[in-house]
Amino acid sequence: MNQELKDLLDRDLTGRVEGRCGVEWKTNRKGVTVAWCRLENGSDLLSVAELLKTSCARLSTITASLPEHARANGMHEIAYHFDFDGDTLTVQVRIPLDDEVDSLVPTFPNADWNEREFMELYSIKVRGCIDHRRLFIDEKIDPAVLDRLIPFSTLVNAASTKTLWERILGKGSEGKQ
Amino acid sequence: MTTTYKIPVGPLHVALEEPMYFKIELQGETIAGVEITAGHVHRGIEYLTSKRNFMQNVILTERVCSLCSNSHPTTFCMALEQIAGIEIPERAEFLRTIADETKRVASNLFNVGILAHIVGFDSLFMHVMEIREIMQDVKETLYGNRMDLAANCIGGVRYDLDAEQRAYLRAQIARVEPLLGEVRKLYETNRTILSRTRGVGVLSKSEALQLALVGPVARGSGVDYDVRKKAPYAAYDKLEFPVVTQQDGDIWSRAMVRIREAQVALDILKQCVDKMREGPIAVTPLPEIPAGEAIAKSEAPRGELIYYLRTDGSDKPSRLKWRVPSYMNWSALSPMMKGNKVADVAIIVNSIDPCISCTER
Repeated sequence: MNQELKDLLDRDLTGRVEGRCGVEWKTNRKGVTVAWCRLENGSDLLSVAELLKTSCARLSTITASLPEHARANGMHEIAYHFDFDGDTLTVQVRIPLDDEVDSLVPTFPNADWNEREFMELYSIKVRGCIDHRRLFIDEKIDPAVLDRLIPFSTLVNAASTKTLWERILGKGSEGKQ
Repeated sequence: MTTTYKIPVGPLHVALEEPMYFKIELQGETIAGVEITAGHVHRGIEYLTSKRNFMQNVILTERVCSLCSNSHPTTFCMALEQIAGIEIPERAEFLRTIADETKRVASNLFNVGILAHIVGFDSLFMHVMEIREIMQDVKETLYGNRMDLAANCIGGVRYDLDAEQRAYLRAQIARVEPLLGEVRKLYETNRTILSRTRGVGVLSKSEALQLALVGPVARGSGVDYDVRKKAPYAAYDKLEFPVVTQQDGDIWSRAMVRIREAQVALDILKQCVDKMREGPIAVTPLPEIPAGEAIAKSEAPRGELIYYLRTDGSDKPSRLKWRVPSYMNWSALSPMMKGNKVADVAIIVNSIDPCISCTER
């Protein structure tokens, strides 16, 4: 990322991001830059997105998550990853579990599938979202279902196999008696 | 009065290798719109990765899909190495590049081969698949498997190439190169191919940029973006290669990008074999993986693949998310299909080289 763009983003994002350092920049030995920032206020998301659009950003993807510390605070975390000609700026927001986040579709049309996916996988509500249809998961299944169901891998893990085997051996020895 | 009606295509269809459901809106034989319904192979793999340790996830991510299987563990390892501050050895960078480019040749040839099948030119389809078979043999010989190479590990790679294996790779490249040159000429000049692909499924550069499309789909519309150049990783910063683009944005342009990228991949393979110096292939011992977060990108055969990883100091990801190129490229079908004939639905879908297993995870 060229220094001019870095300075521009540093200047325009200052005051909206958490921490005194503002945007955190890291450049690896091959010259690829990755930058991170977290907005203090989720309601700044739309204006920041519009600012990034005018700086020729491309929305690469969106990651929603509910890590333990955020769950304890009743917050979802959403990370928006923007590409600047190979470099990446990630803008993170925290949204209360029962609150809504603004849709980026009017600014970045490709946000559509990303938002539909996190609506169904994390039960996050999106304000201004045009398309509320499920993307992958069937309508009959509750939102955020993966957080609630027991994974098949747990169901058939080594412990249950051992239990099953002991039951079979037990049945076998009962038969002999 | 023009009657509008809808016809279903899929989810199971002879021209689709994986299930996807399209509702095609027609006016007569002309396509007026398309609605895509996904979700037939959603497996919850992203969620599953948070229940597996980092080593297991190298294996798991390789199984997201088959055609670009190597790109997933490569990019996952890159993200993890970034968090742990691991710089992989130079030889490992070349070996990762060799694995990626070998997969690219096989993947691109599969797509252009299917294109020939869809237009009814089955002898060409079989010829392309025969050429691709040489690369399949390369994979089987060097990695022991035709699809999942198991080439990557955290901190480097799990395989090396000795002098005999490098000579074998050079010999196979020398076999493929002239055959691929002939195939390219056929796709450039054959009337059957040209009549079904020139001016069909057109996507303008502005539409490609607006929809944030990636890979050969974007490059076929003149978007000059390739992760290997824009955000170099592995050994790509040490190699000379062009970014292949076409300007017309039709089915033919996308196919030509893939054929030329297969040719470029062969050249990259030769450069890797020549430039690779002796040295370690992986970092040992591995450090503890601290809490942190990282973004890693690579150029999979279908375009930009991006991984986001967050760790919490344990041996499992706190969150692992990836966005595959196909995820972005589905949205191109709407502008590509409008105004075309219903008979072109299958060939237009094939022209974005969609990977449904990757898309749905």
